Amino acid sequence: MLLEVKDIHVHYGKIAALHGVSLEVDEGEIVTLIGANGAGKTTTLKTISGLRPLSRGKIMFDGADISRVAGHKRVLSGIGQAPEGRGIFPGMTVTENLMMGCYARKGDVSRDLAQVFELFPRLAERKDQAGGTMSGGEQQMLAIGRALMTNPRVLLLDEPSMGLAPKLIQQIFSIIQEINRRGTTVLLVEQNAQQALQVAHRAYVIETGEIVKSAEASALLDDPEVRAAYLGGGADRPVGGSEPEQAAGAPEEPRDG
Amino acid sequence: MKATHNVHNFLEQFWPSTVDGLALGSIYALIALGYTMVYGVLRLINFAHSEIFMIGTMAVIGALHALGVSSLYGGLGLVGFVIVLAFLAGLASGASAVVLELVAYRPLRKKGASRLAALISAIGASLFLQQLFARIVIPEAFDLPKEKGALPVQGHFVERDNVIEIGDLVISNDKLIIFVGAILMMVALDQFVNRTRLGRGIRATAQDPETAVLMGVNIDRIVTATFAIGGAMAGVAAALFMLRFEEAKFDVGFLLGIKAFTAAVLGGIGNLRGALAGGLVLGLVEMYGAALFGTQWQHVIAFSVLVLVLMFRPTGILGESLQQARA
Repeated sequence: MLLEVKDIHVHYGKIAALHGVSLEVDEGEIVTLIGANGAGKTTTLKTISGLRPLSRGKIMFDGADISRVAGHKRVLSGIGQAPEGRGIFPGMTVTENLMMGCYARKGDVSRDLAQVFELFPRLAERKDQAGGTMSGGEQQMLAIGRALMTNPRVLLLDEPSMGLAPKLIQQIFSIIQEINRRGTTVLLVEQNAQQALQVAHRAYVIETGEIVKSAEASALLDDPEVRAAYLGGGADRPVGGSEPEQAAGAPEEPRDG
Repeated sequence: MKATHNVHNFLEQFWPSTVDGLALGSIYALIALGYTMVYGVLRLINFAHSEIFMIGTMAVIGALHALGVSSLYGGLGLVGFVIVLAFLAGLASGASAVVLELVAYRPLRKKGASRLAALISAIGASLFLQQLFARIVIPEAFDLPKEKGALPVQGHFVERDNVIEIGDLVISNDKLIIFVGAILMMVALDQFVNRTRLGRGIRATAQDPETAVLMGVNIDRIVTATFAIGGAMAGVAAALFMLRFEEAKFDVGFLLGIKAFTAAVLGGIGNLRGALAGGLVLGLVEMYGAALFGTQWQHVIAFSVLVLVLMFRPTGILGESLQQARA
């Protein structure tokens, strides 16, 4: 297993945001984590990247326990993330934003930069524009491109489709598949379950800080409970049981976008 | 009658006020950099920054005593000597700022304490450093009886003369060095922040600290660098201050610190070029105001500027900040 999250618990103050999330991502896979707003998807990714401390459980990456490794060191070991809200540095140009991706890494990066520009020709056209003045879709491309500049073994994507027009969403998801074809493992967090399940190999469903289901992505597409809760199938009962989805203790991850 | 007298006085004093204002404003600007950089990265007003400046002035006086300087310097010799003093003071202030952060701020940050807690810690550190110097460091360093530690200590090394005289415009060597020195430091810092890897790390952290971590930026190291650079700039400001005033005491930073903070707010806190603009504008406003209304109003005018800016344009003259700006 490339990435193993084992029964992690994360608290904001006294409130539990995650209580016992476990998931696995194998080399070469696209794995998606779907769930409603506030279910704990973003917190899971932030904890994997070391931005949130965990109070229990552990995170293994490539066989090593990285639970206590500082966030900035996890990037070097191969965990890259395009965060929720994209996290573009508004005062930096497109190129400067991309170069931040290889901040911690030594050596020649011109090939990586050329690859990102090839994957996102739009970024090449706008390479001297300030990141803050770009459209939502362009910013998302920049966030993914910048994460690729960290040369990741696993790429964590937090809601890449958020706020984008359907056509752009299609484009972003096909680029995610292309990135995976070129050998990068992907852990994709999405509210847009339909799209996510179509590109992923396997999927997990998270509700109020707990994983309630895991299966092949194609199986979940046909799962009546998942269809009902996340794919617009009509019924409004969440997958995990009787509680309404926003009721229990998982607080909304503070947003910065 | 009074008004015409004032205006007459102002016109007569215009060029001297301009020169004095720019010299004073240059010192404000260099100190303001420390406030603005730390604010940009940590959203913290480092109120102990005024004591970091004071430590710089003491380093200069200490160096003058240690070197046994008795002759006065003028001309190019003075320029060289000021560079040496600025280097020493920058080192002392920069190192003190790094220690200050480690002791007074970092433990709070690691515990996730509120910004109010950090602010109170800043005020505490400021008072602590003042008293430490008044009661122990200054008496020990300058062989003074304990009760005299709060009195000013001197360091004379400047032979003043006028280097530029064009009609009413008279510029003395010390003021010229202050102005040129401050501008050079600002340009160097601007280049550093925009062109070096560490500078990019500082900008990234100011714009979005969590994403900076995702890029592999070690925030602790960036914070240390920010305090070191801001402190060093205050040290250089201290050397330039000593060039002009040749004496300092334990609370010399207090008023200057608040003025520099005003300059930082005036220029737009978090904005490096704003610190320069704010410093120079504040220096000029103060000196013009003093010429118009009398020197006793100098501080009132400066702080009225602070209140007015906070009321009507809280983002400052240049508006955008280190978080947004290219610089």
